[in-house]
Amino acid sequence: MKFVLPKGRLFKPSVELLRKAGVELSLPEGRSLVSADGRVSIARAFDVPVYVEHGIDVGIAGSDVVEERGSDVFVPLELPFGKCRLSVAVPAEKPVEPEDMDGYRVATKFPNITRNYFSRLGVEVETIKLHGNVELAVRTGIADAIVDIVETGNTLRANGLVEIAKVMNVSALLLVNRIAQKVRFEEINGLVMAIRRVIDGA
Amino acid sequence: MKRSISDYLRLAEIGNRLRDAFELWGYCEIVFPAIEEYSDEIRKGTKFAHGNGFYLINPDVTSRIIKNFSDGRTRLYYISEVLDGGVRGKWEAGVEFIGGRDVSMHVEILLVAITALESLGIEEFYIDVGSLEVWKEATRGIEPFRDEIMRALQRRNFGIIESLPISPGRKHRLWELFNFRGKRSGLEKLDAIIEAVEDERVFLDFGTVRPLPYYTDVIFEIYSPKLGKPIGGGGEYEVKGKKAIGFALDMNALLKLYKGRKREGKRLSGDSVKEVYSKARELVKMGIPVEVDV
Repeated sequence: MKFVLPKGRLFKPSVELLRKAGVELSLPEGRSLVSADGRVSIARAFDVPVYVEHGIDVGIAGSDVVEERGSDVFVPLELPFGKCRLSVAVPAEKPVEPEDMDGYRVATKFPNITRNYFSRLGVEVETIKLHGNVELAVRTGIADAIVDIVETGNTLRANGLVEIAKVMNVSALLLVNRIAQKVRFEEINGLVMAIRRVIDGA
Repeated sequence: MKRSISDYLRLAEIGNRLRDAFELWGYCEIVFPAIEEYSDEIRKGTKFAHGNGFYLINPDVTSRIIKNFSDGRTRLYYISEVLDGGVRGKWEAGVEFIGGRDVSMHVEILLVAITALESLGIEEFYIDVGSLEVWKEATRGIEPFRDEIMRALQRRNFGIIESLPISPGRKHRLWELFNFRGKRSGLEKLDAIIEAVEDERVFLDFGTVRPLPYYTDVIFEIYSPKLGKPIGGGGEYEVKGKKAIGFALDMNALLKLYKGRKREGKRLSGDSVKEVYSKARELVKMGIPVEVDV
């Protein structure tokens, strides 16, 4: 079974969880992105669902990126870490309801989720795709609002923003390639059950 | 990935081999114009406006057949590029059998798929057969949760089902179906299909769900352990009160698996153009491929 794990804040809890579930992982060393035995790859969190969709057997990624990428993968389990939310935030001095945001320009790392969210509300917004620190877009005046990950709200407050609506709850997810689920049926089911026992026991 | 002329030649070669296989089973090729008037009933394709009307470029072929079908019993196939709503397309080879009977039409269409892949030299593949009726039956009496259960199936996430307020017995039954993969299910129609197809690569797998709006019962997915994505899939549907079943193969996936075994032509050469071509003409008339070098 081949694994792809996300760089960044989900990396450590992902490795811990898999080890507790009895998966022996040798991790890539130094600057290599693939372990010596070729079983474990490390990718940008945003790209993990893409690798799983296109052939790596198992991966771990946030529900935000899975939704944004719209990847055709199986998601057998929600994992007990990476919990946060994706929210709409606007300048604190100009609070507004999402329903009243027609014509707003929204900066985000998640343009697809953002467009779907506002179109469900019947509100037309323009999205600007950025790769990080999206609060800056409002402070510099190139956007009227942002859709971004909120954990504690400290970053928002420090940048004069206020959260006005939650778009979705975010959690780490276990991803399984659709074909791997069939070809390695017993092995994958065994892994899912082992991880479930770890989660239920935690 | 960017394709070269040789990829396109191979794509056409795959198309021609599939044509031969489909024709051997008595299926006729259907061609549609690139552009079709926009309709809710037609899936995929790229939408555009012209004059006062809306149109689709290269939409999904099955939904075009369903919309335009009038009557009769028919066996059709197509080889077509289907656009995804933008500027990219996917080459598909598909087969439809309309007006067939239970079990026999299922068996036939699975055998068409198997022999078509074999004609390309692709032997390492599996076909998983699932059933929407099985899930309809298993969720009788808990209809309000059906959508959630289908969502759980599509994501293969049993946690969604576990969180539903339904009895433990019911959950257990759903869990069994969720993980069922084998040759015999105890369900007459499905077991009869698998038995008649008699191929070690074909399984019943109730976790197989292809969420296309027109499927009514039996669905199947074709895949190879060499590729991370399905090669194709199909299912049973109804058109104007008639039972039908069809499948589509993703030709980009086939391109990755096809090793190409072009039939060698008989080499002909000589000093006289007239003589060499006259000989070539005779061979071609007899169905023997030639390669002329004069």
